[in-house]
Amino acid sequence: MLEGTIVDLVPFEDDYATYLKQWMNEESWFRARPFDRREPHTEHDVKKFIEDMEKSDHGQLIGFQAKNGDPIGGLLYDHEWTRVRKAAAIFFVGDMRYEGSDEVLDGLLMLLRYSFETRGMHRMDASVLAFDETRLDAYRRAGFVHEGTLRQHVRWDAAYVDLHMLGLLESEWPGYAQIAPTLGLQASDLEPKPKPEPEKKDEKKDK
Amino acid sequence: MLYGLLVDLEPLSSEFYDEKMYVYWNNETAVTATMGSPNLVSRAEIERIQEHRRGGRERGYTGVHFMIRARDGSVIGTMGLNWVDEWHRTANLGAWIGEPDYIGGGHGQDGLLLLIDYAFDWLDLRRLDLMTMGINMAAQGAVERCGFIFEARRRHGTLVNGQRADTLQYGMLREEWPGRAVMVERLNLRARAEKRYPDYFGNGSKGD
Repeated sequence: MLEGTIVDLVPFEDDYATYLKQWMNEESWFRARPFDRREPHTEHDVKKFIEDMEKSDHGQLIGFQAKNGDPIGGLLYDHEWTRVRKAAAIFFVGDMRYEGSDEVLDGLLMLLRYSFETRGMHRMDASVLAFDETRLDAYRRAGFVHEGTLRQHVRWDAAYVDLHMLGLLESEWPGYAQIAPTLGLQASDLEPKPKPEPEKKDEKKDK
Repeated sequence: MLYGLLVDLEPLSSEFYDEKMYVYWNNETAVTATMGSPNLVSRAEIERIQEHRRGGRERGYTGVHFMIRARDGSVIGTMGLNWVDEWHRTANLGAWIGEPDYIGGGHGQDGLLLLIDYAFDWLDLRRLDLMTMGINMAAQGAVERCGFIFEARRRHGTLVNGQRADTLQYGMLREEWPGRAVMVERLNLRARAEKRYPDYFGNGSKGD
């Protein structure tokens, strides 16, 4: 477990894998990954996504949770371009009670800590649908700079919407230990969700 | 086949794979064409790349690629749509002129106009985008003259010859495209083609 100020980072497994079956079909997933086709993600798709990320040399899927252990969502370190030392920093909120909360911002800061301070990246990329002020605010508070807007780049709900392009350089990242105390991160103190039912394993039928 | 004035766009063939690809991927033009990521490739690697591309459609690959043939008959490079996203109805354009003598003079622009026309009129896409590097001033001028709008500067998006370089993103919406005929006129391509290839055009009556 990597301990942040008001969230912790954990491997994306167990309850997270169960929650993802729902999370990957919610709007917040598609706002985080606007190029995904708006189609149902089956159990197979969800399992494959987790497996692919586990095997990837250029990415990592990480769970983040409140200090009381309540899972909030996922962090995606993705598309690492090793030669240039850049990658994409993506977060998705699974439990929408935490949407716009400081827990999400702390999750993003912890992802940047991992990217810059563990993986040694030079630059992190992000993109945000133009109407998504909540996500934009989180990236901005984390220090990302707006670098331009791709016009009508994404099909979204009967319209084509703009996509803001953001970037954060190694030289602009003060370090997690330096930035986190300056943001006045406040825990939401929400009641933890009931834990999901344990997965039923396939039972072999005796004949 | 897409017929232009200085160039035609043709299906990729052994003429490209067996001869030109080896040269282009191993010469200096690769630095620009790959945004600073050139790899020296062997003939065996080219064979593997070809094999991989052959099965692309079955794996869901949607790119459309052409070979560029100059008016004098020389194959000079490749050009195409790297990622056709049928859902968002967009595509990313890429071009690689591997013969230094044919860089400039309008060959790339003539090919680009053919490709844009094809993407909008045949594939019914509604937006096109492309990327270049901040240090490649010639490419920036060329794509802007073709009607692309500068949209984003990704700082330190790549590394070239030991230096960090920005990557620039350009876009064009279908409603911004006046059609190839207007652009050929605007870029004076017919006169440029006649000047470069007088033997072909003769009294100027040939060509599209």
